[in-house]
Amino acid sequence: MDKAIPEKKLREGLDRIVREVTEASAGIELIRGETPPGEHMCTVHVGFCRGFHSSLSIRADTALFTRLAQSMLKEEQVTAQDLEDAAKEYFNVLCGHIAAELYRSTRVAARFSVPTFHWGRYCPEDYTEQFVICYSGGRNEAAELVHHIPVSREKDGGAE
Amino acid sequence: MAKRVMVVDDSRVQEVQVRKLLEGTDYEVAHYCRSGEDALAVYDVVKPDVVTMDIIMPGMDGLETAQAILEEYPEAKIVMVSSLAYDDTFDEAKAIGAKGFIDKPFDKEKLLAALDAALAGD
Repeated sequence: MDKAIPEKKLREGLDRIVREVTEASAGIELIRGETPPGEHMCTVHVGFCRGFHSSLSIRADTALFTRLAQSMLKEEQVTAQDLEDAAKEYFNVLCGHIAAELYRSTRVAARFSVPTFHWGRYCPEDYTEQFVICYSGGRNEAAELVHHIPVSREKDGGAE
Repeated sequence: MAKRVMVVDDSRVQEVQVRKLLEGTDYEVAHYCRSGEDALAVYDVVKPDVVTMDIIMPGMDGLETAQAILEEYPEAKIVMVSSLAYDDTFDEAKAIGAKGFIDKPFDKEKLLAALDAALAGD
């Protein structure tokens, strides 16, 4: 997210927060996986600002987001709108915890945009994927957290 | 009589969660606002005992909204609800006069403790 944080440390921090927040928000245990989400996937995306110039997405099988919505809303029957709302709220909470962790590491008070939801695979314009962390949610469900950096930074070797 | 809570959050999920957590307690969700602008417009009509206010929202964010409400209604009891749980945000919330802070995700115990404390003036 910033050159002040080594990529390895950033990956480890993001991985821990994803697993903790997913468990706390929806009671879903994510474990590290190898397989990316399948054809029926959704993406939630936010851009960071105020000190950090990168963005994060989470892509997951629709079935996993459905289970997340069922758990967060405590309803067995959820609509497409419920799924979208729950996915955005989940990622909002997740990114808040990431911002808090960044603050503890750098004393920079990052803020982030309101999450946007996309059916299918979404990649923000002018950004490139720096790294991806894959997860399995059990029940043949997969998710991946994607850290994006601006294309201009990639050309500079990732430095700001 | 139940104490009336106004929930301000762009996420409907949050309103549903708060409503369910408050079932069977001394509190009830009296009104739900999806934006800071909406909250400012209806605060005086709803006259809630306490407000739960998200921070990251489109348009006016929760800190701006809380500040605007408190400028007009200094007696308002506002509890910020966010996952941006770190010193910088706590300080901003405190400086504008918020009565508490709840870190997302939260459970019933944490929610009730924060609402009770806000109304008790802690």
